[in-house]
Amino acid sequence: MIDWIDYLPPENIFLTDPTRRKELPFFDTAVQAGFPNPADNYIRQRLNLQDLCVLHPDNTYFVKAVGESMLGDYIFPGSILVVDSTRPIETGMVIVIWVNEGWCVKRYIDKSPMIVLESSNENYAPMYLHPDRDRVAVLGEVTYIISKPPRYARPR
Amino acid sequence: MYALVDANSFYASCHQIFRPELEAKPIIVLSNRDGNVVARSAEAKALGIKMGQLFFETRELVDAHEVVVFSSNYELYGDISARLMSLLTQFTPDVEVYSIDEAFLQLEEYTGIYPTYRGLGQTIRDSIRQWLRLPVGVGIGPTKTLAKVANRLAKIKPELNGVCVLDTKEKIDEALWGFPVEELWGVGGRSASKLKKQGIRTAYQLREVNDDWIGRVMTVNGLRLVHELRGLPCKLLEVNPPPRKAICTEPGFGKVIPDLNNITDALTTHLSRICEKLRKQESLCGAVTVWLRTNPHRRTPGNYLPAKQYSSSVTVRLPHPTSSTLEIIKYAESGLKAIFKFGYNYQRVGIMLTDLVPADYRQVGVFAKGPDERLIRLSAVVDKVNKRYGQDKLRLASQMYNPEWPMKPAYLSPRYTTRWEDVLEVK
Repeated sequence: MIDWIDYLPPENIFLTDPTRRKELPFFDTAVQAGFPNPADNYIRQRLNLQDLCVLHPDNTYFVKAVGESMLGDYIFPGSILVVDSTRPIETGMVIVIWVNEGWCVKRYIDKSPMIVLESSNENYAPMYLHPDRDRVAVLGEVTYIISKPPRYARPR
Repeated sequence: MYALVDANSFYASCHQIFRPELEAKPIIVLSNRDGNVVARSAEAKALGIKMGQLFFETRELVDAHEVVVFSSNYELYGDISARLMSLLTQFTPDVEVYSIDEAFLQLEEYTGIYPTYRGLGQTIRDSIRQWLRLPVGVGIGPTKTLAKVANRLAKIKPELNGVCVLDTKEKIDEALWGFPVEELWGVGGRSASKLKKQGIRTAYQLREVNDDWIGRVMTVNGLRLVHELRGLPCKLLEVNPPPRKAICTEPGFGKVIPDLNNITDALTTHLSRICEKLRKQESLCGAVTVWLRTNPHRRTPGNYLPAKQYSSSVTVRLPHPTSSTLEIIKYAESGLKAIFKFGYNYQRVGIMLTDLVPADYRQVGVFAKGPDERLIRLSAVVDKVNKRYGQDKLRLASQMYNPEWPMKPAYLSPRYTTRWEDVLEVK
């Protein structure tokens, strides 16, 4: 008998998809009731980088950095950027934006009616854009940067 | 209430996502082998390029107006479509994916979250634009048919800003008043001409007809349509689509070929491809249909008279459902031999796999054995190897192998969201 307190917590209710069937092995022998594996309760899924970096899979794009304008923000040529388009862009975000014929990654600053796109490499000047004069299109905000460690250069 | 959300010129818009400089430019997308035009942006439509038109016929227009041409990039379209459909479930849980770029949403009981239908429509449109950079139109109405009408109006009336709501009797009347009957969902060319003979030209007139009469002229489907126009939902949301009942392919040869060996080669190649598809959707097929035809528009070189025509098809029922290329090819080849006639210049061979059943289905007939499990396992291994090392690396010996065939499309674009080597580069 089920005690009335023995309710099913809502987080234990799962939606199942009966269209995909998988056969499970059936053991036709008596089960030895030995000492259970004490670690069983602690087995969890292995860590997956996707879970960490991609919060909104449907709104996420991967792009590759090729320039050096954002070195100060740890974006190197060859870095893979995780770009999320869920949130509208705000001042201070590093964004991927298309400006007059090309995609670039820059820090976005809203100075209405102008917008400023700053680089983090002092060799690159900030870009001042006016919505009437310049055509822009925003892909999204850079949420993670994936890079290899820099090559080892042997000291001379 | 139902909403129909659909993307504006979906294939062309997918190319604009990562190429904003192409916005407001004429774009056309070509079919698999660059043969026909399969999609056009609004600007290309305005130039008079027609759906399905042969690409070489559009050459002059393309050159004169700097039309941007793309070969079809189904990986990109498929991924963008999957994203769109998944995002739509954020607005309501009941979403019916109707086609690659259209979905019906059921909007009951969400008035607490979205005070007005118009506001909801606008939110969907703006959010999808921000998230996917994809322009969509939203039509809202009390039935799926009226939602479809609303969606059509949202497209052609720019003052509606992409969202059209038909929620009162007056609005519905006004919308149907001038709406041509042939543009209604489910009215084909033949039904339309039947209706026009009776003087019914607009959706408004169709709505007012007698039930018995329409049942006789357009069967039960017509009756359903009329009820839907009156605001009674007859077509309900199909959230879990049934698995595909048939898989089919009909590639052209590129040039006409008269010879059975070449046709068999092509048949094998395409059969391997669709058997892969069959195994991917975890089905077995119970029958295979093969057909063969000449080019109906071909004229004999020299005297320029219409060339002689031949087309025929045959269906072979398999003794037991299977997904093994080896087994199916046996029956498909014998079918092809049965319909092949010497002396014609063939243009296409088609294959269709039907009577699909789930992969775990086994029924032992009285006289037939079950499928050879070893062959099915072998196919799974072949698929794995080819997935890892590239298409057709492991193939049947009877399969034609010419690296230049099938022809490589000439206007390929990057598969931005599905291949690491193709991701967008930013400065």
